[in-house]
Amino acid sequence: MSAIIVDNISKKYRIPHEKKSTLFQNIVGVIKRQFSYEEFWALKDVSFEVKRGEALGIIGRNGSGKSTLLKVLARILYPDSGSVSINGKVACFLQLGVGFQPELTARENVYIYSSILGLKRREVDRMYDDIFDFAELRKFENMKLKNFSSGMSMRLAFATAFHAVPDTMLIDEVFAVGDEAFRKKCSDKMIQFKAEGKTIVFVSHSLDSVKQLCGRSMLLHEGSIVTTGDTEEVVDHYLAMLQKK
Amino acid sequence: MWQYRELIRNLTVADLKNRYQNTSLGFFWSLLSPLLMAGVLYFVFRHLWGHEEDFAVNILVGVMAWQFFSTGTSSSLRAIVSNVGLVTRVYVPRHILVLSNVLTSLINSLFAFVALLPIILILRSSLPPTVLLFPLVHVVFFVFLFGAGLFLSSLYVYFRDLTQIWDVVIRTLFFASPIMYPVTIIPAYIMPYYMLNPVTQFIIIYRDVMVAGQLPSPYSMAVVCGFAVLAYAVGSLTFRRLERRFAEQM
Repeated sequence: MSAIIVDNISKKYRIPHEKKSTLFQNIVGVIKRQFSYEEFWALKDVSFEVKRGEALGIIGRNGSGKSTLLKVLARILYPDSGSVSINGKVACFLQLGVGFQPELTARENVYIYSSILGLKRREVDRMYDDIFDFAELRKFENMKLKNFSSGMSMRLAFATAFHAVPDTMLIDEVFAVGDEAFRKKCSDKMIQFKAEGKTIVFVSHSLDSVKQLCGRSMLLHEGSIVTTGDTEEVVDHYLAMLQKK
Repeated sequence: MWQYRELIRNLTVADLKNRYQNTSLGFFWSLLSPLLMAGVLYFVFRHLWGHEEDFAVNILVGVMAWQFFSTGTSSSLRAIVSNVGLVTRVYVPRHILVLSNVLTSLINSLFAFVALLPIILILRSSLPPTVLLFPLVHVVFFVFLFGAGLFLSSLYVYFRDLTQIWDVVIRTLFFASPIMYPVTIIPAYIMPYYMLNPVTQFIIIYRDVMVAGQLPSPYSMAVVCGFAVLAYAVGSLTFRRLERRFAEQM
């Protein structure tokens, strides 16, 4: 049973020589006939499948298309060709605490953030205590978020995110922030999710955490898949590739 | 859309709280500012048209409808751009951002119109029964504004000078709508063009049902419904087309 099927995805970015962001600039551009742009293929014919309950790691150098791929899976970017189908609910974590509102209280923000991640109010009611215990912020639940330190809002975002986990998670490096203890907590939690049978797609530069979490990995280079397979082998391939450069 | 109702509600409530917590008089500003504006218009123009029937009440109704239009469009214009995180870092259907924004304006305007009822009652010593049609008219206006919001907010992602352009459009429309003057002063030869302004059509219907106590003609109801359907169709088509590159543009 496949949780994610990716079929021949390509994504092209247009990089204009002169960026036009207003109607005025566009009109001037028409008059001067300046509409040239560079095309940049961030993804070229990428196809793969992820089985339910599997954790797939995606590695590659900067600019190899990892984040673009994850954004296409998350439906943030539209592919120029090809199709993605994902079974079940998806949450993507490109950044934690998206949609946090500084003027509102921690309590209100937990409800907003959970609904962004696709949770029902009743479900949040049930997990509410767990979230605040986990974040160790019980005392501050009625404080406005603007008065939180960055560490505190990070913990709140993290606790909410990890209580709102649906069937499939798309993760891009977000848990690499914070101190050592925080990172440990995150990686423990992820291993727990994997054990619970969640499907995970994990993009990271930290080869150790990829090895720890993912059985299978995929190596991207300049928008194409170089190799897919057992994580150890793919990581070796990647290191060999880096060596050659 | 239904499965996102929690998100829509949360975003709308957050939006309302954000708008009011930052002002000392809070929520009352949203009532006070149109009332003050109506007061100013009344005192300036009563020498010209003060003899018209229900001049003061008509100004009030006109200003309230205008307020819904102008804040509704100019704040939903920013609905996408001001929510960068929700567009580029996570997936939520983007039209929800516009919808919750227009809903906030709707709630505001509902309070304003409800506050208007006792004022009409005092100034005219009766409320016409046709006022019961108000919710229907308001829903049609809401659909119109949602369509306009979809159109404007998606264009604004690509054309960042749209706020300035829209400001000018709003200012022009304010004088091109019968807010501080009666429709009767418009010369007959301009009338066909004058009536192309949707805001005019809506204001006339609001006044029919809230002040004059007459049923709007089926023709004018058909016209405003047509405007609403057209705005929604054009808005959602434009939005769906432009949405694809939102995340790249921002």
